[in-house]
Amino acid sequence: MEEQSKQVLLKLVNIVKEFPDRSGRGAVRAVDEVSLDIYDGEFLTLLGPSGCGKTTTLRLIAGFEMPNQGKISLEEKDITQQPPNKRDMALVFQNYALFPHMSVFDNVAYGLQSQKMPRAQIREKVNSSLNTMGLGGLGDRRPNQLSGGQQQRVALARSLVMEPRILLFDEPLSNLDAKLRVQMRSEIHRLQRSLGITSIYVTHDQVEAMALSDRIVVMNKGKIEQMGTPEEIYHYPKTRFVADFIGRANFLPATAKAVTNGQVSLSLLGKQIETRAPFEMAAGTEVTAMLRPEALLLRKDASLPQAIIEQAMYLGTEIEYLINLDGTTITIADNDPRRQHMFAEGETIGIDFIPEAVHLLPE
Amino acid sequence: MQGIRNNQQVKQFRALLKDPLLLVVLLFLIFFVVVAILLPILSIVRESASDDGRPLFIRYLSDPVYQGIIWNTLILGTLVGVIGTAIGFLFAFVQVKLNVPFKRFMHLVALVPVISPPFALATSAIVLFGRSGSISRGIFGVRYDIYGLDGLVFVMTLSFFTITYLNLRGMMEALDPALDEAAINLGANRWRVFRTVTIPMLLPGIASSFLLLFVEAIADLGNPLVLGGNYEVLATRVYVTVIGLYNPTGAAVLSIILLVPSLLVFVVQRFWISRISVVSVTGKPTGTPQTIENPFVKWGLFAAAMFVCLMVVLLYGAILHGAFVNVPGVRWDFTLEHFDFVINGIGSQAMRDTTVLSSIATPIAAVIGILIAYFVVRKQFLGRDLLDFGAMLGIAVPGTIIGIGYILAFNTPIMIGGVTIIPKLTGGQAVFGGALAIVLVYITRSVPAALRSGVSSLSQIDPAIEEASVSLGADSARTFRRITLPLIRPALFAGLVYAFARSMTTISAIIFLTTPQTKIMTQQILNEVENGRYGNAFAYCVILVVIVLVAIGVFYALVGTNTGAERRVKGR
Repeated sequence: MEEQSKQVLLKLVNIVKEFPDRSGRGAVRAVDEVSLDIYDGEFLTLLGPSGCGKTTTLRLIAGFEMPNQGKISLEEKDITQQPPNKRDMALVFQNYALFPHMSVFDNVAYGLQSQKMPRAQIREKVNSSLNTMGLGGLGDRRPNQLSGGQQQRVALARSLVMEPRILLFDEPLSNLDAKLRVQMRSEIHRLQRSLGITSIYVTHDQVEAMALSDRIVVMNKGKIEQMGTPEEIYHYPKTRFVADFIGRANFLPATAKAVTNGQVSLSLLGKQIETRAPFEMAAGTEVTAMLRPEALLLRKDASLPQAIIEQAMYLGTEIEYLINLDGTTITIADNDPRRQHMFAEGETIGIDFIPEAVHLLPE
Repeated sequence: MQGIRNNQQVKQFRALLKDPLLLVVLLFLIFFVVVAILLPILSIVRESASDDGRPLFIRYLSDPVYQGIIWNTLILGTLVGVIGTAIGFLFAFVQVKLNVPFKRFMHLVALVPVISPPFALATSAIVLFGRSGSISRGIFGVRYDIYGLDGLVFVMTLSFFTITYLNLRGMMEALDPALDEAAINLGANRWRVFRTVTIPMLLPGIASSFLLLFVEAIADLGNPLVLGGNYEVLATRVYVTVIGLYNPTGAAVLSIILLVPSLLVFVVQRFWISRISVVSVTGKPTGTPQTIENPFVKWGLFAAAMFVCLMVVLLYGAILHGAFVNVPGVRWDFTLEHFDFVINGIGSQAMRDTTVLSSIATPIAAVIGILIAYFVVRKQFLGRDLLDFGAMLGIAVPGTIIGIGYILAFNTPIMIGGVTIIPKLTGGQAVFGGALAIVLVYITRSVPAALRSGVSSLSQIDPAIEEASVSLGADSARTFRRITLPLIRPALFAGLVYAFARSMTTISAIIFLTTPQTKIMTQQILNEVENGRYGNAFAYCVILVVIVLVAIGVFYALVGTNTGAERRVKGR
């Protein structure tokens, strides 16, 4: 995305949301001082484990929850206190929330009817929306007569037909089976890119987040852990939590030997390497080196550090090894899984890695 | 940190304030609960705590006669509770776990007592099994004295077991058959599964059924009046104290004594049993419940259930038959003069009045109940639980007590600063000849059922469906009208049917409120029974049942539905 096209559309400033806890006496902070800018036309994903506050953040944006503190503005207009039905946004729900007593057509027409749009125009819009979503001819059906994927499309059509300023998604694919999920994922990707509609998407699935997003916001315990493009988040996580949550990660302790011009040299798995210092450090600082499983290699080479293969799993696209290196378990993904290359469990093997793939985290 | 929660609720309340329509409706509901339910109850409390009232507590509680009455009441409640729960369990078990013929028939027979005037069965029991009963004397040749505890337990269990049957059946059907299968898979036999899985899972339901019946039995006035004989219970004593001795203070004190176990049970039921309930309704069961095949168990239970059905059929048959004969039990020649009396004669006023008043009360009660349910399930506000609790008191408190409360609260106009807020509703010169008070009592007694069916229906609807409507630009009124109401239509239907049947058949709550201008059928039936004119009483009963059945048909035509979409309210 070009720098100058970045127009802030939605702005969250210091949002706090508390819920009463189980006993009813205390309070739980579901969202803890979250500030966030959402740019016009971008696809932004809120990613995190369950209970991290991502859904609450989305519901605050939609207006179903009111923040205890903070301000939300849309195009520089304060909408913090605006009721949800007055906000120019449409939410796609996790369970689709289709109206079971209405036909598919009436479901999609519902929002337009609220706007008191002339009937002929509604019919035209709804039909064109149904056709776009591949639902042509299903307008008379009831939601319960549709498959899961079709129901999801109706939910999408119902929101899209409103032509909202922002489209909100609350884990919309989590109820679909694996194949359908991938299919719908690419469909949402295609739709969003072709319509250019600003979208905020909540999920706990990091693959989904990376596949769809311009930017990802990783949340944990109500706070934002890191914000960035999928590449940044994957290759340069700022914390161990982010590294761990976005895919698999190995963490190895290391000590900085020398730091010059933002470059740090250190020794790792018997190799001397030089890498970028992503945070303030000096010679002697204890750090954690993160290595993705695909950055590690196994070799029959006695000069390399030796480890024992504890488990070898053939996964089709790769072989996943769990190896024991001086008591630490390390995950290695071999992306060239030809059977004859597979090492056996219990075998002792040399361990190597791609130095460029090393990323340092605070200890 | 109590403050946080209150703070939250205050915030939510402010959100409510922004929606003036919601606020007006809510204030109306609160006003209704306060005036129609809480005020009468408080009047009793005040009367019993007055200078005249307080010494009476000691007098009554230390008097052996009154002690005996209290014991009688508790024993009756316990027996009806135990036996009624057993019968309800039996019927539920037969429906869910046995593969036997006549299941549909048994189900229908079990439903019949819902729409019958309370003493129909008592009267019919006298005719069939009393001193000159056509079965006890006519077939077995014994002069059986049915008046007293045995007769009461017999009639009350048959009148009240429907609720436990439906309750337990619902729970049994909700039990995941996978649990049974898991137990069998782990080597348990059928009996062990029943003992270690089925019963413990149903225990909260069994307990709550017992408590419901207990309260129902100690609150009942009609049956003890007709069939009690020398066996006096608190409800009849309260009645005599008002009608015979005209001592409202004494009645208030006795009411409080009766109120204690009733409210205790209600509170236990609400705050304890609902919490320990382990049955989770997951929607679709994963398998079909396995049926019991052991022939001794199967046919033994079948025979027991059929015997109960036979009793119910006999009792109701006697009512229907008795309405067409000259003097039931004595002269058996066919006549239509009882029906003539009810439809064209002196009885017709009661028929008209009761039907009109019930028809007024029914839609109001159903709407109030559904609206309170909506607020309780969907909205956060200060005093939400109190609103729910207050509305439920309308049925948790025995009818006689509600009736006395109305006399005490509304016998004089309620004025604030010289302005009449509520006119005189009861006694001579009451507005509309006391009809307004009767309608209010009908509503009060019917709201809880509509409320509960509304609550259970609403909590099954994913709130996301309503949020989707709001997200698409609809306001709360439009969302309620277009989305919520159509989805809870079955609850509305149930609420209407229940309210009408309850209003038409209620006696204890309105027995003190009828005036010469306003005649009520149940009261007339009691008069006829007390004067031994069983034929007229039975004709009243038959016509009453017919009116209720017609009304159900009308409600079905108005709000009933068969689209089937309402069954799938998960929005998926």
